[in-house]
Amino acid sequence: MMLRFLMMGALLCLPLAVLANPDAEPDHSKIPEWQVIRSLMFGDREINPDDRDVVRVYLNTRADDASTVPIMINGLIDQTEDDYIKTLYLIVDRNPQPTAGVFRFTPESGRLKLETRLRFEQYSFVRAVAELNDGRLYMSQRWVKASGGCSAPMGKNAIPASMLGKMRFRVDDQVQYDQPLLVQVQVRHPNESALASDLAPDQVPQFIRSVQVDYNDKPVMTGEVNFSLSDNPVFRFYFVPKAEGALNVRMEDTHDTVFSQSLPVAAKPPASNP
Amino acid sequence: MNRNRNGISEMGPMLGFLSILLVSLASLHCAGSFAAAQAGSLVVEEISPGNYVHYGVHDDRSPENLGDNANIGFIVGDRCVMVIDTGGSLPVGRALLEAVRGVTDKPVCYVVLSHVHPDHIFGAAAFLEGSTEAQAGINIDVIGHENLPRQLAARGTFYQKALERDLGELAAGSDIVMPTTTVAAGQVLTVDLGNREVEIRGWAPAHTDHDLSVFDRATATLWLADLLFVDHTPVLDSNITGFLDVMKLLRATEVNHYVPGHGRSDKPWPVVMDPQQAYFELILVETRQAIRDNVRLMDAVNQVAVSEAVNWVNFETYHRRNVTTAYTELEWEQ
Repeated sequence: MMLRFLMMGALLCLPLAVLANPDAEPDHSKIPEWQVIRSLMFGDREINPDDRDVVRVYLNTRADDASTVPIMINGLIDQTEDDYIKTLYLIVDRNPQPTAGVFRFTPESGRLKLETRLRFEQYSFVRAVAELNDGRLYMSQRWVKASGGCSAPMGKNAIPASMLGKMRFRVDDQVQYDQPLLVQVQVRHPNESALASDLAPDQVPQFIRSVQVDYNDKPVMTGEVNFSLSDNPVFRFYFVPKAEGALNVRMEDTHDTVFSQSLPVAAKPPASNP
Repeated sequence: MNRNRNGISEMGPMLGFLSILLVSLASLHCAGSFAAAQAGSLVVEEISPGNYVHYGVHDDRSPENLGDNANIGFIVGDRCVMVIDTGGSLPVGRALLEAVRGVTDKPVCYVVLSHVHPDHIFGAAAFLEGSTEAQAGINIDVIGHENLPRQLAARGTFYQKALERDLGELAAGSDIVMPTTTVAAGQVLTVDLGNREVEIRGWAPAHTDHDLSVFDRATATLWLADLLFVDHTPVLDSNITGFLDVMKLLRATEVNHYVPGHGRSDKPWPVVMDPQQAYFELILVETRQAIRDNVRLMDAVNQVAVSEAVNWVNFETYHRRNVTTAYTELEWEQ
């Protein structure tokens, strides 16, 4: 059985408003948000376009899931005592907290590589600004389109308190001394957005604010981060083990909770042939 | 015989279907009279006695479709009416209320919000402020999962901004409505619409972490909301293993009629679930393999289950996101 009703004809007949095409990539240097961020963070220092192949940002430029946009930042120079990327600024122009992270590296990082996952509130440029040890700045940027549908930057699931801060490591099986070793660290954490309207006014949003990675007590990477990173944050990076030791990861959140875990690292003798 | 307010009587299924086609075509060509259109209502089909469904369109939300993208509808009892999901904007909610009025003079007493997604919730305001029920002091109970208030609070503002971006002024008044009654995972709330008992079931994390389904006992009609997608790419916004578990339970349910969250109710139950199940099973297997092979998320979204593209509409919009949800869940497995 079916019934017939009138359709919403009036609204269907409305002419389409002439809208600026939101898919078009704007000039990255003219974004108002960026001009403010640039001036606050770098003053009138020169930021070189990335023509020396210093740093490069990789990501899928359609943010299929606004809560979890994987990004990879590669340093394209060897990290040496004389010439290395000291600081990496990761910026999402139009996020409520645009500076997603400020990461510091050392010559012992071998080759700078950082992979993590970002939230995107709207169409935005994402930028990696690399500061060399001599203070020169290089920038690589990509335009990221927000996804359609019901995707949202907030976390999808609540994280039970019993799991908070639980970490997981992933390392290449083949550890070789004096060679860059790829490590992934992931942590169970809601990384609550300060903008989430479900927070009471006096409630401090709980997000990770610092990450510190050492190997045998020497710094590998440190980061000041915030809720522009996805929930259950993930970091992938290289370091160069020179001998057997322990990789220590320490994170601290805005509720002053400290999470730390250690991963033993040792080169395995090559498997003997049977 | 039921009569709607325009005096159009019930028709045989064939004639009814034809007339719906004609109305739809007429609307596409903007042939309807403006005055008639302003009194606008939605096309609804009575899929089982007292269960009225409006099928949303698969297109992206736009000023033309006003966010009329999800299947929505209502159940009529002897005492009052339960509305199940409200459409993607206030105008769609209002048109649904008009459709209710076209079928019955009984008041709306329950509004079920199946989950937080904008195509299901943004018409809710139509049933509250200014409605005849509100003016008559009739209490409308808004029912949601116990995790819905948290999700509405977290995502509401973001979804409203996106609605304004897509619909402009037509988004006005599409307010967030909070549930007045909540149902926990594993809990069943039974309400009586007057000689008509309806069960509202809260689920463990699946499509979202706060899914509700509705079951009309009298006709064994199951309203699945987004626990079932037909033709439209299934959407995963919480838990892939949980979704597959829920589908297993749903399959075992004795159902005479069903309403998916998207797509039509034409195929037999439960084989109508097969394509969605095959899709999620393939994502599960291939995502686990990608994680074992150390394929990073960025690349996995372009590799996992892409062979499924031919089976679904809106695949480009939703598939990579589904893989993202699955990957970020499964990377924590032992």
